[in-house]
Amino acid sequence: MKDHAQYADSLALYAMHGLDDEREMAELRQHLDSCGECRRELEALRADVALLALSTSGPQPPQRSRERLMQAIAAEPRIQHKHKSRFVLGRLQSRWLTVAPIAVAVLVLIASVALVRENLHLRNTRDQLARDLLEQRQKAALAMEVMQMMNDSSLPRMTLVSAKSVPQPQIKMIYQPQKGHVLLMANNLPALPDDKVYELWLISANDNKPMPAGTFSADQKGSALMLHAMQDGGIPAKTFAVTIEPRGGSPTPTMPIQFAPAG
Amino acid sequence: MHVSGTQVSNQKDEAALITRIRAGDESAMADLYDRYSGIVYGVALRVLANTSAAEDVVQEVFLQLWRNPQDFDPDRGKLAPWLAVIARNRAIDLLRKRPMEDDIDELPIATGVDLEDEASQRLAISKVRGVLGQLPADQRRLLEMAFFEGLTHTEIASKTGEPLGTVKTRIRSGLVALRKAFS
Repeated sequence: MKDHAQYADSLALYAMHGLDDEREMAELRQHLDSCGECRRELEALRADVALLALSTSGPQPPQRSRERLMQAIAAEPRIQHKHKSRFVLGRLQSRWLTVAPIAVAVLVLIASVALVRENLHLRNTRDQLARDLLEQRQKAALAMEVMQMMNDSSLPRMTLVSAKSVPQPQIKMIYQPQKGHVLLMANNLPALPDDKVYELWLISANDNKPMPAGTFSADQKGSALMLHAMQDGGIPAKTFAVTIEPRGGSPTPTMPIQFAPAG
Repeated sequence: MHVSGTQVSNQKDEAALITRIRAGDESAMADLYDRYSGIVYGVALRVLANTSAAEDVVQEVFLQLWRNPQDFDPDRGKLAPWLAVIARNRAIDLLRKRPMEDDIDELPIATGVDLEDEASQRLAISKVRGVLGQLPADQRRLLEMAFFEGLTHTEIASKTGEPLGTVKTRIRSGLVALRKAFS
C-alpha cells in the first residue's frame, strides 16, 4: 500500500491525463474517494495546469477564423422554448360558426395545392443535394487518403536522386493564390531545438512585404507537411522563403533565410 | 486568495455572457471569441505547431461551448482556464490521434487568478512565463513533455532516462511553483 506522499506525487500527472498504468490509476481513484486532502490538492493542481496552458497565450488567430466560427454558429440549429398559442372556442360568434367551416375548407384546399408544389420542389432539391453530397464525399475521401498517406510517418517514403549525391534538405510547395492556400512538403530538414520552428513567408508581389504563411516542424526523419490558409486570398506571390523562428511564429522574419526557391 | 472588486464585476460580466449564449445570442459568442480566442489559439498552436490545425481546434472549442453552454458553470469558476485546458486536451487528442473526450467535471475552473480583461491576462501570463523561466531547464522540459506533448509518465521516463518517481515529483513541484507565484 502506498503512503499519502506517493499518491500526492501521482496527482499532477493524473491532472494532465498523464498516468498510463491502469492499476495505479484505479488505486489513486480509490484513495481520492477517501482522502479529502488529496481531492483538494487535485483541484489545486488542475488550476495550476490551467496556468500552464495560459502561458502560451499571445498569437492571435487570423480574422477568417472568427468569420468561420460565426458562420458555423449561424448555421447551427438552436433549441428554442416556444410559447404555444391557445384557442378559446367559446368566444366564437354564431355567424362565424357557419362561415368558418367553408373558409377553413377553402384554406385547406389552397394550402394542399401549395404543399404539393412545395413537396415536388423539395424533392428535387433533396435529390440535387444528395448528388452534391456524394460528390463532396468522394472528393473528401480522396483528399483524406492523400493526407493520411502523407501524415503516416511509418510508411516508406523516398526521394530518388542521382546515385552519387548526398541527400539535401528539400521543400516542395504549392500555392493556390485565389483561396490563399499553401501546401508544403519537406524532406531531410535539419532538426531544430524544441523552442524553434520553421516559418514560411510569402513575399507579396504587390508591395514586397513578407507575410507569415504558416509554421512547421520536422519529424524524426526530417519530414514535414503543412497545409496553411492565408488570412486573405487573392495575394499574388512574388516568392517564398523559410526562416527559423521561436515556437509560435514571428510577425516578421528573422534572418538569415534558410530556404528560398531554386534558380 | 484575495478577490478584488474588479474580479467580482468581471465574474458577473462573464456570467451574463454565458446567460446570453444559453439564450442563443450570437453576438455574445462573438464577444466571448474576441476575449478568449488568443488563449485558445495560443495553446493549440503550442501543442500542434501548425496554424491550420490550431485554427480547427479554436473552431471546435468555441462551437462546443455554443452547442453545450450548460457545460460551463460560471458560479464555479472562470472561462479562460476552462477554455485553455479544453483546447490543450483537444490539441493533444489530435496530436496523438486519440478519440476526443473530456470529462467536464475534471476541468479546472477555480484558479483564483484574474484573467477576464486583457491587462490582467497579460500580467498573469507574464508571471507564469517568469516562473517557468526560473525552473531548471530539465524540469521545465518534463512539464512541457507532460502538458504540451501529452506524453505519459512512462513515456517521459523512457525518453529522459529519469526514474518514474523522479518524473512525478519534479512535474508536481513545477506546478506547485506556479501556484505559489499566485498565492
